[in-house]
Amino acid sequence: VTAPAARVVLDNEAVQALSDVAHSKHRRVLAFFEVVNQRSGRRRQPMTILVPVAVRIEARWDRRAPSAASLNRISRARDVALDGSRADRSAELRAATGVSVVDATVAQAAEASTGPAAILTSDTADLRRLATLLDGDVRVVRL
Amino acid sequence: VKRRPPLRDEDLFALLDELETDGPTVVSSVRQPAALKKALRVAVELGLDANANDATVQAVRDRLEAFAQRRALDAHYAAHPGARPSLAEVAQAAAELDGDPLAGEPALIRRAAKEIVAFRPGATGDDVLVYAAGLRSRASA
Repeated sequence: VTAPAARVVLDNEAVQALSDVAHSKHRRVLAFFEVVNQRSGRRRQPMTILVPVAVRIEARWDRRAPSAASLNRISRARDVALDGSRADRSAELRAATGVSVVDATVAQAAEASTGPAAILTSDTADLRRLATLLDGDVRVVRL
Repeated sequence: VKRRPPLRDEDLFALLDELETDGPTVVSSVRQPAALKKALRVAVELGLDANANDATVQAVRDRLEAFAQRRALDAHYAAHPGARPSLAEVAQAAAELDGDPLAGEPALIRRAAKEIVAFRPGATGDDVLVYAAGLRSRASA
């Protein structure tokens, strides 16, 4: 058994599934949020949900929009901003694998987070390929 | 007499969202067990956080975030009862997040979730995984 995940990084489909009650994975993605909430609320090591800003752009997640209120509240996700050094590492990962810009930033966010990280994604093939190049404990979980 | 309007979830979320920006700070005193204060000082020396203030603020923030998220999830389930994941689904998600080999045994997880609620009604996904691991080791003994 590996160490419990301390961070959960969302990709575009995880955001889509969470924001749409009719999405086929809505209930499944909520199960992961329940784990985060149960662990954080029981005085265990708090878990944090992270969302790279590129994912927010791809998912059209504007936190100021009234339609995003529920998504903001349920996820309590913290933004992972893209600065120069993060962009450099994301570019390096993209050059090595040919994945999309957003996938590269998802992988970089997971790598840079403190403690074991889990990426919630439907695109396991590309992200598992990326995960082999990352430092630290990063696992890819199929949504 | 002017009565304060009742506080709402919106107030809590708005204040937590303000923490994302560097807002004003205030000094406040908190009565706490002396041993807790000493333990905090030791933990900071050992690398918990940059200082005792940061450690305290982060701990309180984590508690408030979890509480607020719980309120949001419960409100969501009240509006959409079908969206609430079952205990077995939560346990399955926990196993997958942790890379636990039990993730490959969904039938065992479902059985454990069904059995554990008989004596622990408030069981969590992690409780189910511990129970499932016990079932598995008993079966292989």
